[in-house]
Amino acid sequence: MKSILTYFIARGWAKTKRTKTYVLLLVGLLQIVSTAAYGQTVIKGKVVDEKTQEPLSGVTVLQKSTKNGVTTDANGAFEIKTRDALPVALSIILAGYNAQEVDVYDAEEPVTVSLSEENNYFDEVVVTGYTTQQRKAISGAITSVNFTEVNTHQADQDVAKLLQGKASGVQITSTSGTPGGGVTFIVRGNNSIGGSVAPLYVVDGVFMNASNAVGSSGGNLMSNALADINPADIENISILKDANATSIYGAQGANGVVLITTKRGKLNTPSRINFTVSHGWSEAVNRFKVTTGPETGQLLNESWTNTANDYGEELPDYLNRVKPAHYNLVYPDFPDRINSPQYASLPTYDRIDGLFQIANSSDYQVSVQGGNAASNHYIGVGYSSQESVVKPNTFERFSGRINYDNNVTRNLKLGTSFNINRTQRSNVRGNDNDPGGIINSAIFPRSFLPIYNDDGTYAAHATFNNHLRLIEHLDNDYVTWRNIVNLYGEYTFLPELKFRSSWSFDYVHNTTRSFSDFALSTNGSASSSSGLDLVYSAEQLLTYIKSFGRNGAHSVNAFLGNTINIRTSESVGASGSNYLFDQLKEVSSAATTSGSSSRSESRLVSFFGKAGYTYDDRYSFEFSLRADGSSRFGKNVRWGYFPAAGLTWSAGRESFVKNLKLFNDLKLRGSFGYAGNQNGIGNYDAIGVWSSSSQSYLDQASIAPGRLANPDLTWETTRQADFGIEFSTLKNRLNVDFDLYHKYTTNMLQSVTVPSRSGYSSATRNYGEMSNRGVELTIQSVNIQTKNFKWVTDFNISANRNKIEKIPQEQTLGATNRGTSILREGYPVNSFFLYKQLYVDPQTGNAVYDDVDKNDSITYADRQIVGKALPNFTGGLTNILTYGNFELNIFFYFTQGNDLLNMQDFFLLHGGTQNGIGFVPRQLDRWQKPGDVTDIPRLTTYNLNPTQNNGPANNYTGQVANLSSRYLDDGSFLRLKNISLSYTLPKSLVSKLHLNRVKATLSATNLWTLTRYKGVDPEVSAQSSDQNTAGYDWATVPQPRTFQVILNVTL
Amino acid sequence: MKTIYRYLIILILAVNAALLPSSCEEFLDVQPTSSLVADNAIYDAKTARASIISVYSSAKSYSTGSAVTLGVIPGDNVFFGGSQSQNIELDANAFTVTNSAIVGAYRENYTIINRANWVLSEVPKVTDEALTDEERNHLIGEAYFLRAFAYFHLARSWGGVQIQLQPTTDLSSIGNIKRSSQEETYARVIEDLDEAERLLRPDDNTTRNRAQKAIVQAFRARVHLYARQWDEAERYATQVIDNPKYELVSPYRAFFTAPFLTKEAVFEFTSTATDRNTSWSAWYPSAVTRSGSYERRPTSELINLLNDPEKGGTRNVLIAQSGSDVYGVLYNTVSTTTVAAASTDPAYVIRLADLYLIRAEARARKTPANLPEAVSDLNRIRNRAEVASFPETGDANAVLLAIEEERRLEFAFEAHRWYDLVRTERAKDILGVDRNFWLFPIPRADVLSDPDLDGHNNPGYD
Repeated sequence: MKSILTYFIARGWAKTKRTKTYVLLLVGLLQIVSTAAYGQTVIKGKVVDEKTQEPLSGVTVLQKSTKNGVTTDANGAFEIKTRDALPVALSIILAGYNAQEVDVYDAEEPVTVSLSEENNYFDEVVVTGYTTQQRKAISGAITSVNFTEVNTHQADQDVAKLLQGKASGVQITSTSGTPGGGVTFIVRGNNSIGGSVAPLYVVDGVFMNASNAVGSSGGNLMSNALADINPADIENISILKDANATSIYGAQGANGVVLITTKRGKLNTPSRINFTVSHGWSEAVNRFKVTTGPETGQLLNESWTNTANDYGEELPDYLNRVKPAHYNLVYPDFPDRINSPQYASLPTYDRIDGLFQIANSSDYQVSVQGGNAASNHYIGVGYSSQESVVKPNTFERFSGRINYDNNVTRNLKLGTSFNINRTQRSNVRGNDNDPGGIINSAIFPRSFLPIYNDDGTYAAHATFNNHLRLIEHLDNDYVTWRNIVNLYGEYTFLPELKFRSSWSFDYVHNTTRSFSDFALSTNGSASSSSGLDLVYSAEQLLTYIKSFGRNGAHSVNAFLGNTINIRTSESVGASGSNYLFDQLKEVSSAATTSGSSSRSESRLVSFFGKAGYTYDDRYSFEFSLRADGSSRFGKNVRWGYFPAAGLTWSAGRESFVKNLKLFNDLKLRGSFGYAGNQNGIGNYDAIGVWSSSSQSYLDQASIAPGRLANPDLTWETTRQADFGIEFSTLKNRLNVDFDLYHKYTTNMLQSVTVPSRSGYSSATRNYGEMSNRGVELTIQSVNIQTKNFKWVTDFNISANRNKIEKIPQEQTLGATNRGTSILREGYPVNSFFLYKQLYVDPQTGNAVYDDVDKNDSITYADRQIVGKALPNFTGGLTNILTYGNFELNIFFYFTQGNDLLNMQDFFLLHGGTQNGIGFVPRQLDRWQKPGDVTDIPRLTTYNLNPTQNNGPANNYTGQVANLSSRYLDDGSFLRLKNISLSYTLPKSLVSKLHLNRVKATLSATNLWTLTRYKGVDPEVSAQSSDQNTAGYDWATVPQPRTFQVILNVTL
Repeated sequence: MKTIYRYLIILILAVNAALLPSSCEEFLDVQPTSSLVADNAIYDAKTARASIISVYSSAKSYSTGSAVTLGVIPGDNVFFGGSQSQNIELDANAFTVTNSAIVGAYRENYTIINRANWVLSEVPKVTDEALTDEERNHLIGEAYFLRAFAYFHLARSWGGVQIQLQPTTDLSSIGNIKRSSQEETYARVIEDLDEAERLLRPDDNTTRNRAQKAIVQAFRARVHLYARQWDEAERYATQVIDNPKYELVSPYRAFFTAPFLTKEAVFEFTSTATDRNTSWSAWYPSAVTRSGSYERRPTSELINLLNDPEKGGTRNVLIAQSGSDVYGVLYNTVSTTTVAAASTDPAYVIRLADLYLIRAEARARKTPANLPEAVSDLNRIRNRAEVASFPETGDANAVLLAIEEERRLEFAFEAHRWYDLVRTERAKDILGVDRNFWLFPIPRADVLSDPDLDGHNNPGYD
């Protein structure tokens, strides 16, 4: 019978070339014909969504205990015939909905079945590496975040920022409040020191290149690759965390894998057009603060007076003797006014105000989603623009997506995910950690110094440029065209055996253009560059999924595959200087020009397989193995093998657990395995090279020994053990997921210091070891569910403890060579290494530091670890309350136990030692007279403590310099990240307008924050692209507070 | 139809299969296009010539950068007005073992040494008819000179150091080499200079920016001065002073005004439009030249001295004023105010003026002292700057103090002041710096990573 059917289908299709619908009709017809002979009952019915009452298509309607089944059509209708006598039991099954059983007693009346959306945590289908699985069978730790409308109510139009606080075990930190700006994304702790700590991002099966669009000068702060993806297109994000889940990605999996799945249409679903419009207004909650002109003058005067007194002199005598070159910054007509301090009448010029603005943002989305019997589609177009609250930076993104799948024949499915984005960042501020930076040039100059010269031109003071000049004249664009494309074909040999061939690339074209006009550089300078980054992947995958035995007690889920991955990166750049006019901005107009180009490539060949076996839905065992050959590795160690295994015991299915009547379901799982990390080694780091320059000394060619060959350079390996418990209770209304893990990284890639006398300072080696251990807890709870009111809470909290187990030698880094962060064995990465200020002596006003080695002098040996940038725990709490047509979303994010080095204090709390730099208000708390109790020492201008050469000194210099713990603050915070209230217009009203749905939302982001941090905003971590120097608040744009109005309309 | 799909599948599989095992290893061999894949790239005349250029290149960047930073900021001519702690430490003479300026300078010298060692080890092995024995010897001679150059800078900054004479081919076998004493290090410098002088081809009349026998002699005079070998210092200084190739130029500003490589220049590292020297930016206020950071500022004491016609004379051209900001102009003489910086100023390594003052000092210090001739040398320099002659005196100490002050002004922004005060053991008197801090610390990373240092740093830093 079956072969005849197939024959007819094939013939019918080939001959008539009609659409698949006909084929299906034919099938239906044949079934009717083949069964009509027996006098059968026809049951008619309709399936609708319980909530929206919309018809549901593609629903499987199955007669229980038989193979007799049909699917509903576009109107949700079905007809099923049975030979069996009534009543018959029908199972109504649709992914994402709770399956339902209906007993049909009477075939005369059509049956209407309402399906409720699935809350059953264990049946949820989760995207895992190379496949999807039901949660109940998964032995790995995977967090799945379904992106819904409410996710996009938050002002950040950036996937990474929207994920913050939504997934346990994932620590996402915005480096600043710059739109489209930097993000650090760390899954279960830092695994590496010298390699990358970022996870692998896979978008619809395409390996994404995550390098930053803004490459140089603080690129890490100003851009992140995930901002290229339109959040409105995203359906789901799966974060693979444990070894069982990640080792299938081999040498790229150790830092976790983020699988981003975008929206696709459903078969047999009428197309729906959806519009979203939103507009937002952002402001800085707190602004930088500096002392007023009179305060600054007073502080300076006091520092000179104290210094003179230390030398036993009166101030005028001292000044006459020393004649400090910079004294005139306080008293412009020095020395005439020496005896009449004028500071009380000094003016105040507010530079901070010129820095900030009310920033506008807007977002427009149009999408079409649907499908017919043979194909389905999702088409989305979006535009988003955001201004920064600190002038003059802007972010803009256009995105377009077509996801299309077609069942060409019953066995062959072809499809594509096609995505193109254009992201533009304009007037990107250079590195903020630079005196030339805009924020620094506003906060560093002393506030009594004028912003403008007498002739109306911009005034610049000391080493700082004029902030307004920088804002006005900044002229640059960083444009990224990103094209993420996947084409696949899937052939079903047998229902259980499928072959999938997938070809994809991630094409990133970055162009940058910048021009410094005559106001910013003498005679102007320009640069222009174009970079092309490509990731090609070809992936072949054979999947076998089958259940057999009585009641399908044995089930197997296995796949075998290989991928070829080629990454190339090319760039050309040109720069020019010396312009005749500053209206001519192209490099070609410059008198002096230069050009450069570069190219690099890496390749990865992988073979992998995974096999899972489940017995009776109770016991599962999974095993996977991946072999990776990488062109980056040294010749001796080119192939890496990454095995993993996992066990699941669905205890909830055991009768003795069922009898407890405590759990709706209960699952215990454990896994162990290995994954690698090869990101962080340069493409050619294993190869010995000589470098050459054609124009070196005297413009002659040179060659010099470059890198020494390192044939043993290879991936770093992370082994991970994970244990998890998941359970559902209270009628599936409370789901709890708890994980415990221990990760241990060996062969850690690291820049190992070598003796300088070799002519080298360091070499990349596989040397160190690091551990991460932690716990994660996720609770999803339906607190209240009545007909009109529903209250759902999602809570997650994660704690990770990082520890450097072995490094060649400790290494200090950070704050531009000041070594304020340290890598030391036995301590976590991102530890702060400073002198610990115990107190300020109330009698003398001198700072007293912890003399660790008790030798009565403060030396390098007294520097100690006084804090860490890594939090003790982070988490998120989401409450969604739905009442009638109203929906209220309240989302909190928190981080606890992390320290922040307040670099504003670090520089502007200098106590009078810094020429040309003003003060922060905290300086006013300085010690002034015996008996004062404060943590800010006495003001002095000289560098050293006169009683002790190389002594600690009070302010900024001496042995301690500004490496004092008094600038380190607690960076913990609890933040109401987003609160949004939506109202959906009543269906009756909307349908009169011939619309399907209209929803209006008011949203506020970063409305309220609880923190003890004394700086502007605790949610910053700006330093450089170095993951080992987190936790610096260095002239960083604060996270803005944003109010938004959002309107969704569905046709 | 179905068969077509079957074929399609087979085709896809075949493409993959064909791509793969054709040789995975070959597929995975990807090589860089911007650098030479080689263990040793010196094999013919062209590469031999290019190899010595790389030694010059690193010596040049040291001379325009670190040498000035370390020679000037710890002294009393310049104070640091920026916020970088490594420079603040230098200014305050509170050197720490992780000071990045000091660490960087130490490494740069060994980079020069390693590159020179490659030339010394490989150029003799090159068999290429295009490379004559004369040229080969000259290249080797240049490498000896530049290696001596680096060891001299190490010795005067860190004391005795580890003498590395072989190129590094493998980081795991750099040899067990202990630190030499400062005397031994200077002796190695002299030994290398001997070889250089022997191997270099005869001098021409124009070269002032690549090694010449006369440059070696001039450098040697300086080394002997530091090694307190007065007779040799005097002898070598005389050789150069008597060389008609060199003469003092007038006015004073001529030596640092383009075109460079004046007759006074014994040795300069030349900058070009493609190989620029942008060190001026640290000296210029942003009000004068946009990218100026004005971090290195002349002290009021120096300003007063330079502006004193009795002391500074025409050397007051070393400073200029914009508003209330007084700044040093030695390193950006091409641009005065608004003209763009050409950034082609050289590094002034040895000027003839130095040889006069070396000889003056050697003559005043040797036994028996030759004070009249010492004063005569001193006055050559004073008179060129239009400063009145120093009177004849029998007081050797007065002459030495006069030389000290003369050097301070003559080389105000060149890499001398700090080293002069340390060399003459006057750093305590003048700057109040304890003797323990007269040498810079060995980088902490080296003390930790090099067992041959036995865990010890210079005194005062352990």
